[in-house]
Amino acid sequence: MSEQAFLELDRLTRIYAGTPAVHDLSLQVGEHEIVTLLGPSGCGKTTTLRIVAGFEQPDSGRVVLGGRDVTRVAPQKRGFGMVFQHYALFPHLSVGANVAFGLETAGLAKAEIGANVARALELVRLPGTEGRSVASLSGGQQQRVALARALAPEPQVLLLDEPLSNLDAALRERTRRELRALVKGIGITTIYVTHDQEEAFDLSDRIAVMRDGRLEQVGPAEELYHQPATEFVATFLGRAGQVEGVAASVRGDLVDCRLAEGVSWPALVPPSAQIEPGTPVRVLTRPEALTFAAHDAEGVLSGTVDETRFAGSVYVYTVTVEGGQLEIHARSAQARIGRRVGVRPLDPPRGVHAFVLSAAERV
Amino acid sequence: MLNRTRLLTAIVFALLLWAVVYPNLVVIGESVRGDGTVTVRHYAEFFGTPSELRALWSSAWISVATVLLSALIGVPLAFLFARYEFPGRRALGALAAMPVLLPPLVGVIAILFLYGESGIATRLVQVALGLNSPPWRLRGPGAILAVHAYSMYVYFYLFTLAGLARLDLAVLEAAASLGAGRLRTLTRVTLPLLTPALAGASLLTFMTSMASFSAPYVLGGGFRVMTTQIFNSKLQGETAMAMVETVMLAAVSLLVLWPLARWEGSRQYVAPGKGMAPLRVPLRSRWASVGVPSLAGLGVLLLVLPHLTLLLVSFVPDGTWTTQTLPPRYSLENYVELFAEARTFRPIVNSLLMASAATFIAVAIALAVGHLVVRRRVAGRRLLEGTLALPWALPGTVLAIALATTFSVDRPWTGRVVLVGTAWILVMAYVLRVLPLTGRAALAGFRQLDPSLEEAAASLGAGPWRTLRRITLPGLTPAIVAGASLAFVTGLGEFVASIVLYTHRTRPIAIEILSQLRDFDLGAAAAYGVLLMVLVAAAFMLGQRWIQAGKQAAD
Ligand SMILES: Nc1ncnc2c1ncn2[C@@H]1O[C@H](COP(=O)(O)OP(=O)(O)OP(=O)(O)O)[C@@H](O)[C@H]1O
Ligand SMILES: [Mg+2]
Repeated sequence: MSEQAFLELDRLTRIYAGTPAVHDLSLQVGEHEIVTLLGPSGCGKTTTLRIVAGFEQPDSGRVVLGGRDVTRVAPQKRGFGMVFQHYALFPHLSVGANVAFGLETAGLAKAEIGANVARALELVRLPGTEGRSVASLSGGQQQRVALARALAPEPQVLLLDEPLSNLDAALRERTRRELRALVKGIGITTIYVTHDQEEAFDLSDRIAVMRDGRLEQVGPAEELYHQPATEFVATFLGRAGQVEGVAASVRGDLVDCRLAEGVSWPALVPPSAQIEPGTPVRVLTRPEALTFAAHDAEGVLSGTVDETRFAGSVYVYTVTVEGGQLEIHARSAQARIGRRVGVRPLDPPRGVHAFVLSAAERV
Repeated sequence: MLNRTRLLTAIVFALLLWAVVYPNLVVIGESVRGDGTVTVRHYAEFFGTPSELRALWSSAWISVATVLLSALIGVPLAFLFARYEFPGRRALGALAAMPVLLPPLVGVIAILFLYGESGIATRLVQVALGLNSPPWRLRGPGAILAVHAYSMYVYFYLFTLAGLARLDLAVLEAAASLGAGRLRTLTRVTLPLLTPALAGASLLTFMTSMASFSAPYVLGGGFRVMTTQIFNSKLQGETAMAMVETVMLAAVSLLVLWPLARWEGSRQYVAPGKGMAPLRVPLRSRWASVGVPSLAGLGVLLLVLPHLTLLLVSFVPDGTWTTQTLPPRYSLENYVELFAEARTFRPIVNSLLMASAATFIAVAIALAVGHLVVRRRVAGRRLLEGTLALPWALPGTVLAIALATTFSVDRPWTGRVVLVGTAWILVMAYVLRVLPLTGRAALAGFRQLDPSLEEAAASLGAGPWRTLRRITLPGLTPAIVAGASLAFVTGLGEFVASIVLYTHRTRPIAIEILSQLRDFDLGAAAAYGVLLMVLVAAAFMLGQRWIQAGKQAAD
């Protein structure tokens, strides 16, 4: 996070019918920063964003903007721009009138409004479309009009709720790069909501991973990927194979995990983990951090190839080993289904993470 | 297959032309008929007679005023029930639609029993204030307007409710996030998005009001509108003038309908995303949380008072209620009489039979047209659809006069046979009146039905009949049942066309109510009214049940 927080979510809680949709959530967003709320469906992303926008009142907690508590300020007085999932363009108004709406409420002069509308539409690469009807636009164009409409009144904060989820895959990928360039160009403080991890990686300065209304971890993409604080973060971001074992020895943030008779791999553990020799653990492995080896060599897990798949740049193998299943990326075709193979980490402990099994999981 | 389609198209077209279009052409023909020549003499006479022009003007301004007044009641009420949460909201919201249970004439007499010169409310006020004469008189344009507003605000109420339910919450929030306060959001976003609903309700209210006969007939006194004017001319044997008046009423109705319908059509917005409907907000302030439910309750009480009055009066034995404020005696006498005597039971049988027959025929025609227009997309489908909807623009009086004129002579080679005097002419009039209802429902049903379902059935080896029986008809059931129950209810309480076409043998309930009223047997009239109300409610409820059951079976 950069210097001091510009927008601060302070211990927000929102309870629906007894179950918390957002639970004790705190997050600080620096000026000009893009922070993404990332999490599976129903984890409370939209609810959080709506609390920030003012459409939803938290049961407890505060929203602070530039040191001022805005929790009780009405949405129309907050000056936050918002882009909705289905865009929520006004269907009875033209493109130009949609973009002008916020400028009119701000009481700008006619000529000024016209100039600002033109500028906003240019920004989203839709110059000269003022007169078109909203319904005549394609999905991607509607999305851009919604963005222009939100940006035109020059809000202090931009809030986006899955703005790309209605676009097809190729367009989505292109649009998210453009979106980042545009938002960064203006330098507006932004909270972006998505359940798509790739989108989060492409767009954000930092990512806040949510689960069941709580924040699991906040940080830049690399940090989340390489130092996941929880098993959930490790599995939600990127792919991971898993195998169960027992901690053998602990050295700071490194743990030697015994995975099979005579096989033990060094693994990274989160700083907060309560781990000691003999603790049952689950070891998660990144596919690109594993490689094939002779199955009877030392320190090698042996298993059978279950599935092979060609994914363009790599071959993907699924190998079932005792106590789990691993995924391995290889540059060239290396094994056939049903073959007995050995697997070892390429550069331990890189890409190998150990997490303590919960009490319920220890049978 | 193709030939069968052609044949069906030809038959349906011929039938509609003969039943819907032809009688109206006959009326136009009659209105310009001189002694063996064509003449505009009758039109000249119409435009030269001040009382005729006054009636036309009265119809028009009463209708416009009805639209405004109904909107003024119905729209705020819909906002209240759709947007706010308060104790009793559900029950009150449902009760607010109660006036639909009263067929036009029944509504008028219920209000007469309540607010008429010797009505209960009138007498209560008179006694309370110690006046010598009734505090008001339920007569003239004011009374007509009040009855219209009472029975037609429901269109605005229901249309606005539906429109509000279709609004996307996100659109309103978008306005707020752009700095718009409540008032600005209402005027710049909510109301513009409601225009299709409001235009639809205005249209329906305007047409219903132009066609309204019961209220001006019973309450008008010397105040004439076009429908009562036509009826009077006919009664006095001024046939040519009745024809001209009929043409004029139809012309003015169509003249208003055309642009309004087009405008409504151009304002149908398709919301890009489905979104969530706006949530109800609880009333927070102390005053509002007590005051609003009480006021709403009071308002709704006012709305169901006519129903209650009707029920009360139906228990009053003949001749026992004279000068007292409230009827002194109550018994079941009227109801017993209703069912015990063949003479009084006859209208009930007549109405049930004729309404059923009309509903059945109208549904069959609507299904055929729906199939041809939506599925087969036959040439001339727009014309077919338009013909089906045409009676909607023609007031009941116009239809009745057209039928009475056309089918009173026996010239089979011109398509005219004598039907006047039989029950068939009433059935025909009912069919015409309800065709737009069943037609609209069937067309909507066919349009919502995914054609790939029928194609899937065909690909699984089902023949046309099996597909129709197992796939198409079940899929259409909700729409058809909704249209049919509306049609049945309309036929059951029909008065406007009946009064032109009935005979003693074929008289329906509404006509019998009127004659009981003429004999000052208020109790019997009220008992018929209650019976109609109950039948209407039962038809709606059974329809709903049927639709719900169908939905559950589908899930
Ligand atoms: N108005 C409401 N009333 C009751 N429960 C609600 C309401 N809004 C949201 N919830 C519940 O709160 C939880 C969080 O919902 P939210 O919409 O914030 O999830 P989300 O992360 O945005 O999910 P998605 O990715 O599917 O949009 C869900 O379990 C949802 O059912
Ligand atoms: Mg969401």
